Amino acid sequence: MPRPPAPEVKPVAARGPSAGLIAGVVVLVVALLGVLVWAATRGGDLEAVGSSSTLPDGGGVSVGPGVDADVTQVRIYEDPQCPWCARLENQIGEDLAEMVEAGEVNVTFQIMSFLDGNIGNDSSKRSANAMLCADDAGVFLPYHQALFAEQPAEGAGWTDEQLVGYAEQAGVDGDALTDFQACVAEQPHADYVQDMQQRANEDGVNSTPTVFVDGEELPQEDLSRLIQEPGVLREVLEAQGR
Amino acid sequence: MTGPPATGGGTGLAAREGDRPTAAPRPWVGYVGLVARLAVGGVLLVAGLLKITDLTGSVQSVMAYELFPYPVARLIGSMLPVVEIAVGLLLVVGLLTRGAAAVGGLLMLLFVAGIVSAWSRGLAIDCGCFGTGGPVDPEDTAYLPDILRDLGLLALSAWLVVRPRTPLALDSLLKGR
Repeated sequence: MPRPPAPEVKPVAARGPSAGLIAGVVVLVVALLGVLVWAATRGGDLEAVGSSSTLPDGGGVSVGPGVDADVTQVRIYEDPQCPWCARLENQIGEDLAEMVEAGEVNVTFQIMSFLDGNIGNDSSKRSANAMLCADDAGVFLPYHQALFAEQPAEGAGWTDEQLVGYAEQAGVDGDALTDFQACVAEQPHADYVQDMQQRANEDGVNSTPTVFVDGEELPQEDLSRLIQEPGVLREVLEAQGR
Repeated sequence: MTGPPATGGGTGLAAREGDRPTAAPRPWVGYVGLVARLAVGGVLLVAGLLKITDLTGSVQSVMAYELFPYPVARLIGSMLPVVEIAVGLLLVVGLLTRGAAAVGGLLMLLFVAGIVSAWSRGLAIDCGCFGTGGPVDPEDTAYLPDILRDLGLLALSAWLVVRPRTPLALDSLLKGR
């Protein structure tokens, strides 16, 4: 026996949509946007290939006898636009280059670019790419020194002309300079630059400069000494290392 | 848009209030709610917008608490701004006020818990509340002001959960209100 039809329900005050409907729509939209934003923060799988001296998995630019060599391993996390990174490089850059030259240390530069988002420009990514171009041109360390020595005032960033100019300062000329210009303009290393930032995130490093010596993070007071006192690099590395 | 019910007049009103349980008993109650809506909603909206324009920074801010591994921090750092913006917008326009205030209050509780945790573990970080997180010098931490701000916003959210009817709210256009 069929049931009698349910009595028709009349809305009390049919003004506008119900709160439940709105809530449902809002939750759906928020969930959808959340997933989209989350997907946007996914980098690659750290598979990008960098320049001639870069390590796999976005692990940075390695200069010296190699990460497997039985020498002091220095790992520097830096952002090209970070003022304290520039002060660190300006203080220790030359000594570090000498120790690399002598085969006493291997230095890995983990070049980050998070300050772009902070400042609202793209100079960290572009100059990180340019450093990899310099690596391909065989002048990574001199280029790195020149770039940080002329770091523009807070947030002003570099022009492409400036980025090419540091390569000239480092002795790149002729066809190599033309290649360098193209490399700065076309940013062939953009994916690897992104991987370096993601790798730093995964390593849990979120401030620059951060320095590791033989896998141990250099304590804040030692880092401050490196930045402020000239000529203490060797001493600090020896105290920190094995 | 309806303003608070005109209850001016004085005598004899108390007895009638029971007939209209959803009505704000006095006009100022509605205006406190309006201020609460704009304060909590405005702060969440600004915080969310600052974070969503720098998602790498947002994820780093979460990492700085050293509570979550990277994949979880990435999930929180990317989803949180979206939720903040949504709740902020809802509160500012006064839509689904009670629910939005409940979510906002829950966020404040979680933020306070996170900051207390960072403080008690001796970390020296910026709370990252407005997108500029990460380590800072120990003398530059602002844990107490951050906690007090969030507790204040929590109190305002709680007020809205209890008295969600406010002037200038889209809620008044919804069915059955």
